[in-house]
Amino acid sequence: MRYPSVLAAVVIAGIGVTGDHTRAQQSNLPDIEGTWVRLDTVGAGSFGAVNTLTGNAVLTPEAAAAAAAGRQGGGGLRPGLVADDNKPHAAGEPYVVTDGSCTLPGGLEPNSSAFHIVQSKDEVLIVRENPGLHRTIYMDGRTHPDLSRWRPTVVGHSIGRYENGTFVIDTVGLTPGGVPGGGRRTAETQLTERYTLSADGKRLTMTYTWNDPKIYQKPHSYQIVAERQPAASWPFEDWCDSGDPTQRTSVIPPTQLP
Amino acid sequence: MAMKREITRSLAIAVAALLAASAATAQRGRGAGPAVAFDPHDISGYWELSFDSRHVPLAALAATVTPALRAAKRKQDEYATRWCNWIGMPAAMDATRPIDIRQGRREIVMNFETIATPRHLFLDRTTHIGKDVYDATTMGDSIARWEGDTLVVDTVGFDGAKGLSAIPGGGFRTSDSHLIERYRLVSNGAVLAVTFTWSDPKIYRTPHTYEYRYYRAPAAYEAQPPIWCDPFDEGRTAFLAGSTSSGGGNQPRSSRAR
Repeated sequence: MRYPSVLAAVVIAGIGVTGDHTRAQQSNLPDIEGTWVRLDTVGAGSFGAVNTLTGNAVLTPEAAAAAAAGRQGGGGLRPGLVADDNKPHAAGEPYVVTDGSCTLPGGLEPNSSAFHIVQSKDEVLIVRENPGLHRTIYMDGRTHPDLSRWRPTVVGHSIGRYENGTFVIDTVGLTPGGVPGGGRRTAETQLTERYTLSADGKRLTMTYTWNDPKIYQKPHSYQIVAERQPAASWPFEDWCDSGDPTQRTSVIPPTQLP
Repeated sequence: MAMKREITRSLAIAVAALLAASAATAQRGRGAGPAVAFDPHDISGYWELSFDSRHVPLAALAATVTPALRAAKRKQDEYATRWCNWIGMPAAMDATRPIDIRQGRREIVMNFETIATPRHLFLDRTTHIGKDVYDATTMGDSIARWEGDTLVVDTVGFDGAKGLSAIPGGGFRTSDSHLIERYRLVSNGAVLAVTFTWSDPKIYRTPHTYEYRYYRAPAAYEAQPPIWCDPFDEGRTAFLAGSTSSGGGNQPRSSRAR
């Protein structure tokens, strides 16, 4: 007679455990929270050398042609820089730009600034110590939005989960542009990131894998490693002031190589 | 036969419990309000102000707050607005969009959908960073601790010369300002009550306290990019200067600037 009641109790207890999987995850999630700084342990004094970390993306013929056409177009100013006369300039034609970097757009991968990871129940935040959009990774089970109704951003739309001690992020909805290693991306391109903590908790290996059959012949994957900062670290404020005359810079566009 | 009836009854209880749990989960997923059993020690969520959110008495200003000082601070704030400088405290907490607050184990991060750096409230530190090594910022150095169900946040290390300095009710943020905030979840977790107390002998005769009440945004809310601020938008500049006849306003000059 007692067994049925026990059965019901076990089933109800099971509901309690599986009904809120997020809470269950909290107990064994990897402790990636803290302040991190990207480590680039190889390089030869140039940004190109850092890109040797990433390998070269294997593009489809169509994507390779589009990338080449983009290079022929001369690129353009990085976001945040504004030409004073707000018009295109030919190679060799000097002009003045002002660094409006107080409104830099931010980005996916860590740059030379430190970044903070905060793990809360429904979200993981990744915030850089410099201007721009910060990353919100939803952990509450929501799915990606319909991309036809989504305005792409430099950080896209990210959902996350924990898999056997690894933090996995899935991102779509990015603004079109370049990817390290000669890759490209559009709003439909899918990025999967896997964050794995070293046994001593001091290194974070972030594996980036770009998938898009229209762009890549095979997934484009590379790793970036970050080092945990001491517990008593504090964030810097990378101040900028668009009204400061020293933010104005003269530019002479170079001739683009074929 | 009795045994079979007992098993059936127990399973029915379990199924009813499962349905109740599913309904509760679905309710949370729709963002219809806080979970029934909210955690009074977790202020994570999206929080927004409404028209009835502010209780701000007039500050008792010190005699040292002369008309000349007021004019200088007003000029500073006009400059920060004109050039899209990071607004800092306390303006960031007066956001017109929801504030994303995420509580981790070591720190609480506040992300603003405006031109502001994130706030970092450190839970794992009990003392401020020494003035000899800390570079003052628009947000200051914040340490936080729980006193019962109240989160007490202590902030110093402000830079009085940057960002928007005006404090609701009168007075200004200076490099000597000391801010104590007390955060408390009320109304079953649907409201976050925050009292702000500013101390600064050169600005206030007595500590100046006011209270904001933030409403919890739906759980399904998704973070948005900040409203664009273009310091080179001539129409916007004219508007801020008091001219309404030059048209334009609050639009980026170039799509590349995004």
